[in-house]
Amino acid sequence: MTDITHVSRREALGLLGALGAFTLGVRLRPAAAAEGAAAGGEVALFVSIRPDGRTLLTSHRSEMGQHVWTAMAQIIADELEADWAQVEVVQAPGDAKYGDQNTDGSRSVRRNLDRLRRVGAAMRAMLRQAAATRWGVDVEACVAKNHAVAHPKSKRRLGYGELAEEAAKLTVPAEPALKARAEWRYIGKPVASVTVPTVVRGGGSYGADVRLPGMLYAVVARPPRLYAPLRGVDDGAAKAVPGVVRTVRLPTLEAPPRFAAVGGVAVVARDTWAALRGRDALKLDWGPGPNAEYDSARFLEAMQKTAAEPGTVRRSRGDAEGALKVAAKQVEAEYHVPHLAHASMEPPAAVARWSGDRVECWACVQAPQSARKAVAEACGVPLDRVTINVTWLGGGFGRKSKPDFVVEAARVARAAGAPVKVQWTREDDLHHDYFHTVSVQRLTGGLAADGRCVAWRHRTVFPPIGSTFTAGNTTPSWGELRMGCTDVPFAVPNLRVESGEAKAHVRIGWLRSVANIYHAFAVQSFAAELAAAANRDPKDYLLELIGPPRHVDPRGEGAEYDNYGDSLDEYPIDTGRLAAVVKQAASRARWGRALPPGHGLGIAAHRSFLSYVATVVEVAWDSATKRLSIPGVWSVMDAGTVVNPGSARSQLEGGTLFGLSNALYGAITARRGVVQQRNFPDFRLMRMDEAPRVVEVHVVESDAPPGGVGEPPTPPAAPALCNAIFAATGKRVRHLPVFRDGNPNRLEV
Amino acid sequence: MSVALLIVAVTLAAPSPPEPPPPEELNDPGHFADLADEETRAKALFGEVAKVLLHPRCANCHPATPRPLQLDARRPHIPWVVRGKDGEGAPGLTCDTCHGETNYLQQPGAPHWHLAPAEMAWVGKTPGEVCRQLKDPARNGGRTLEAVHQHLAEDPLVAYGWRAPAHLQPAPGSQERLAALFRAWIEAGAHCPQ
Amino acid sequence: MATTLYVNGAHHQVDADPETPLLWVLRDHLGLTGTKYGCGVAQCGACTVHVDGSPRRSCVTPLRRVEGAAVTTIEGAEGRIAEALRAAWIDLQVPQCGFCQAGQLMSAVALLKAVPKPDDADIDRGMNGNLCRCATYTRIRAAIHQAARAVK
Repeated sequence: MTDITHVSRREALGLLGALGAFTLGVRLRPAAAAEGAAAGGEVALFVSIRPDGRTLLTSHRSEMGQHVWTAMAQIIADELEADWAQVEVVQAPGDAKYGDQNTDGSRSVRRNLDRLRRVGAAMRAMLRQAAATRWGVDVEACVAKNHAVAHPKSKRRLGYGELAEEAAKLTVPAEPALKARAEWRYIGKPVASVTVPTVVRGGGSYGADVRLPGMLYAVVARPPRLYAPLRGVDDGAAKAVPGVVRTVRLPTLEAPPRFAAVGGVAVVARDTWAALRGRDALKLDWGPGPNAEYDSARFLEAMQKTAAEPGTVRRSRGDAEGALKVAAKQVEAEYHVPHLAHASMEPPAAVARWSGDRVECWACVQAPQSARKAVAEACGVPLDRVTINVTWLGGGFGRKSKPDFVVEAARVARAAGAPVKVQWTREDDLHHDYFHTVSVQRLTGGLAADGRCVAWRHRTVFPPIGSTFTAGNTTPSWGELRMGCTDVPFAVPNLRVESGEAKAHVRIGWLRSVANIYHAFAVQSFAAELAAAANRDPKDYLLELIGPPRHVDPRGEGAEYDNYGDSLDEYPIDTGRLAAVVKQAASRARWGRALPPGHGLGIAAHRSFLSYVATVVEVAWDSATKRLSIPGVWSVMDAGTVVNPGSARSQLEGGTLFGLSNALYGAITARRGVVQQRNFPDFRLMRMDEAPRVVEVHVVESDAPPGGVGEPPTPPAAPALCNAIFAATGKRVRHLPVFRDGNPNRLEV
Repeated sequence: MSVALLIVAVTLAAPSPPEPPPPEELNDPGHFADLADEETRAKALFGEVAKVLLHPRCANCHPATPRPLQLDARRPHIPWVVRGKDGEGAPGLTCDTCHGETNYLQQPGAPHWHLAPAEMAWVGKTPGEVCRQLKDPARNGGRTLEAVHQHLAEDPLVAYGWRAPAHLQPAPGSQERLAALFRAWIEAGAHCPQ
Repeated sequence: MATTLYVNGAHHQVDADPETPLLWVLRDHLGLTGTKYGCGVAQCGACTVHVDGSPRRSCVTPLRRVEGAAVTTIEGAEGRIAEALRAAWIDLQVPQCGFCQAGQLMSAVALLKAVPKPDDADIDRGMNGNLCRCATYTRIRAAIHQAARAVK
């Protein structure tokens, strides 16, 4: 099937179009029909060689620090045999013709490696053919290399730019020959990021950096609690603030939240500061709304009660209840992970400009098609009147998949009759996030007399992400359960997974590695607790739980299982690969070595997004000062084929520390429905002095199909940390965060 | 709780910095005039002085470790900053990176914002210990009691204690009253409480 | 009311409330968007600039305080130390999302100016005010060491 096709200048208009350019695109299966795509597929994902040789390609995925621009350029440049210096990346806007543009789920490379390779290979074949035709020689005698086609016999050579116009007239080969893996020049190499040289000079444009002529600046006073109604507005003092232009009332959100804005009052001004001062001067009367009684401490107790009772069985093997009754030893533990905020360093920001019934937006979004649809719905205009330009993202972590802030910008700009930037403050960001959900899990294990685990029961209770899309949804989905709970790969004869219901009182969303965060925390902590109960080394015991190399299929045991959207044949749950990263991480951390007093090692391993990561954490506990530090972290990731091992290592370092930071400090709590954390002093992040001095990461070389890279590093971090704390102090941290009172570096043991 | 009261409470719970408690009282020297015994009077006067010295507005920057405290809760300062050379913080993150010569927004500020030297640490000490420390030239910056009085009475950084941003509780009383108490304590023989 | 600002070697007339944080003057009035907003309360360091050569959080620096002073932003940071740091940042591929990195670099410049050969403890203390949610701390530390060696 030929899904690669020529692109006219008109089709690539505004992005890459140039006279005499050679442009190919891919005819993609459009994103879900709900996104408003026409059937059949439009051409997208353009690669264009201009007469001057400059080669441009569109990235339909958002650049948010994972260096996806670089990865895409590497793939194209490799098959195209391009000169790296000539390749430029252009960000694609939100349009269903690009297929799935959601930059989440750790799948940008996973989903596009083959497709982009074939585009590059087709272009290379056509450029060779164009040269062969021009010279009247056999195409097989022509070599494409370093942005030129050469005919070695006659010592002739033509640059790609010189061949572009002729190549553009040739038929696209149906099955272009791909390079052999051994001949890859860019794929699999730690190529330097194309964005970094710009970043270090303060260049590049993030969502907050967009500036348009005549642009006004807005901030929004939002309801203190989700769905709290606005009963009265006195904006007299706000309007009197110099620089304030006007206020705009936004409609109160109705359940379910989806991607609509939460409502409130926007203050539009000549600069951000005037808008902020105007907002401070607003006198707003908010009604209690349905969440006024929400108290996170009380809610935790309610979830604990639910987890103490049998839930809905979601996977079952053997007879776990029976085996628990007769086990020589029974171990039980309850784990809690609070709500977390994404807290990307760039708070949400979006710019909108109306022209008649058309609106053009610029925003730091991970899912521009969702933004497009949300803006069209909120403003009552057809989808094709909405353009979403994707800026760089100053971190996303899942927050910027939710375009509520773009909807705000579009609404306010329309009312203001001028281009408007809506800037979120950090306080806004922490109060009105789509929070990582809160969870309670109760695990019960049965040990035989020899310490082997013979029964495993896991109950998980959490308000589901589905509550954001369906009002009143309280049931954990299969998609959330398969993130570390129903896909548990342990070789125990009797296994039972149950879920319980929980109601959401805030907007819930996905945060880097999603349900894997709390499931891996509970499962990998409990594995170490069983090891302690069996008086065994935790690493050895973990390997025993993982068992012999085999492929696990939860579907035979009552679980619905979608394997992150990929087939189990191509991406099995491979316990051999999981055990291998455990062994490698342990070996790199020199597991078993003599440690200084107060030090301890902890290990955890987890498969998520089709990749395998094991992490060892070393902690040091000073009982005199009660100071806990993390001198070292060793992490090993098997993500199959990796396009850029350099950025994969970066993600492994950063994703691990992201997990440690959340485990140490991360907690969003609420009283009377109001989030209690206002800014970074209350929602602490790891800082330089707390970051481990030793961070050794290793990305396994593998020919396996590419797995995810951005998210898999995070889940093992928290359990490895708490297992290390146990090893160092004997204290088992089952409720996160480790430091709950905001008092850094103090642990009550 | 009635429904109306509940709604008021809910409305007040909107996100904004918490209000600090009202300032504590500070008695003037006359309050202690009845104490005929000079030593008893001096000790009582210093107890009153210590209400100010050990208040978070003052003691937070006289920390026992290289790291200052902050807020009324006396929490370790975030970010982690240290005394550094001359109490001015570490290179790259000196005090004046974030603190200016005046308060600004919620950021505390005063001229020459810096930490007291380690030997002048007050955190965790009793009034008596602080008193003996203040009298000891090795631990008071080589000052005479007269010079200490001048510091307390006139230093603009001390004055900050009563001019903190709105979300912080000011030190008790006033700088003038503190100076008067300290003067009365000197005149009563500068005896220290236990 | 106009204030004269001297930023990156050029004079600017700014018509803004003198109480406006320098951050918003730089970003909204002068278009110098390399200086980032991350918290507004001197907790994250993304807005770090230099005022007369010393690091300042521009989010808690009022415009009135920098009248007549020389302000340097990431766009105008130059000299051997700044360039050595940039080179190390590129060589070690420090940034991920990059949003905090202007502030990190401005703090690192201030650190190396004061301590040409910092040890790890100096880096802990000097860089503690700069948050990075991508957690690139390990590479920032290595890049500061590398730049210090390169400056000689």
